[in-house]
Amino acid sequence: MKRELERIEIPGEHEARVRSWGVVRTAFAAREPARPKRPWKPLVVLVAGAAILAAVVSPPGRSVVDSLREVVGVSDAEPALFSLPAPGQLLVTGESGAWVVQPDGSRRLLDGYAEASWSPFGNFVVAARRNEIAALEPDGDVRWKLARRDISLTRWGGTLTDTRIAYLSGTSLRVVSGNGKRDLELARNVRAVAPAWRPGTAHVLAWVAQRQVVVADADTGRIVTRFRAPESTARLEWSRNGQRLLVQARRSLRVHAADGSLRLDLLGREAAPIAHAAFGPGGTSLAFVQTAGGQSHLWVIPRLAPDASAARRAFAGAGTFSGIAWSPNGRWLLVAWQDADQWVFVRAGRKPRIAAVSNVSAQFEGSFPRIEGWCCAH
Amino acid sequence: MGAGRDERAWVRGAQRGSVSDLEALFRAHWPRAFRAAYLVVHDAAAAEDIAQESFLAALRALDRFDRGRPFGPWLHRIVVNRAIDWTRARQLRAEAELGEAHSAPPDPEPLDRNLLAALAALPPDHRAVIVLRHLLGYTPGEIARALDLPRGTVNSRLRRGLDSLKEQV
Repeated sequence: MKRELERIEIPGEHEARVRSWGVVRTAFAAREPARPKRPWKPLVVLVAGAAILAAVVSPPGRSVVDSLREVVGVSDAEPALFSLPAPGQLLVTGESGAWVVQPDGSRRLLDGYAEASWSPFGNFVVAARRNEIAALEPDGDVRWKLARRDISLTRWGGTLTDTRIAYLSGTSLRVVSGNGKRDLELARNVRAVAPAWRPGTAHVLAWVAQRQVVVADADTGRIVTRFRAPESTARLEWSRNGQRLLVQARRSLRVHAADGSLRLDLLGREAAPIAHAAFGPGGTSLAFVQTAGGQSHLWVIPRLAPDASAARRAFAGAGTFSGIAWSPNGRWLLVAWQDADQWVFVRAGRKPRIAAVSNVSAQFEGSFPRIEGWCCAH
Repeated sequence: MGAGRDERAWVRGAQRGSVSDLEALFRAHWPRAFRAAYLVVHDAAAAEDIAQESFLAALRALDRFDRGRPFGPWLHRIVVNRAIDWTRARQLRAEAELGEAHSAPPDPEPLDRNLLAALAALPPDHRAVIVLRHLLGYTPGEIARALDLPRGTVNSRLRRGLDSLKEQV
């Protein structure tokens, strides 16, 4: 048996050895003295003793058993958000409204808005409540407001001097200039997926029509490309250089070129459901979350290539990760771990590092916030 | 000088920063680490990643490594556990690769192919036990410690794995 196992020819073994030695030698030359690891391993604590005893001795104990849950979370999390691990400001939304979180952990409430997103350079926020869209400064000063019906999925794009805001009004896709003027309908019967502005000087927008992803010039209406959209398309995102468009669906993760051609199909048909996906700020890396069997897994593909096996699992935990966001410098990923009421910051490089914050809901007036974006270190 | 003394000298040298001693360790251990990973994951690119990452993990911990212990079992333990994790994760991700960038590897010889196919039919934990026992030559007790399994479980996986391989090869 040993001989047979040693005889099996492995394709590319010599080349693999040469490549690996190069990496190992480089890492050896660059190594630092080892530092003690932080005991960040996720804890699974069963609140067993007292709860089970109560279940046994009292009739209402049944409900105690029913409510017995795995308490999950990073074990040495900070009790509050004292600071962000990277420059930039976070934008989140909760039941009270939108919140802008500064690098020192301080938070400002933009009261009453159900959703919000950053302007392209993080100087402004576009926020929406049911029948109103507003452009605000991060300190809450309102620049302008516009009343429209059933507003959702606002997205701001453009250059420093010339911007547009796309939003849905019911099932109509509308575009308004960054100064609040020239509000026009661009398309009808669009699906409830946030439109995505292609970075660059032209105002090119991607959205999901009934059966297609459509890419068009928002000023002229000229269609740049269109291609079939997966039935369950949930998210569109352009890479920062505008060369790649990510189309995330329930079980597929596809990267298209700007002309609509398919470049990468990162997961197979049997893939576990994908909850979130996001390009790294450089556009060459990608993070995504899959949820299966009651567990959520954060994967990072450091370098997008046709070989999806380059994905590395960066973090996993029981329950649901309700959102992810890259830090503007691309070094950290924020994972919103709703079931643990924690924010987990995962350093995305080869040396894994975790920093977590507990009691997140309590810091946002009792509701676990949805992450809208981490933007723009100035 | 025996192999064990060689290895201790290489580890000591590498701890002091000697690239040539590190290279000696790499030459002595990487091929088996790569082969063990391949036989568990059945994917050459993934095996390369796993062997490389395991070597880097060992490298990061080199300053804390007890020079009295052999390097190989320590590395193999990392490799095989990572290979099992990767295989489970792959089942979760069920990833697909685009054919264009991946030419198919050459077909192995018939016996290789049969053995590989038979190995592939085993669950990853069973494959790992077979590889540790029959490629790397560990005893069931050592495998039990490496994989943190009861010895009885190791014995039963070995027995069932071998029965299955015999049926198919």
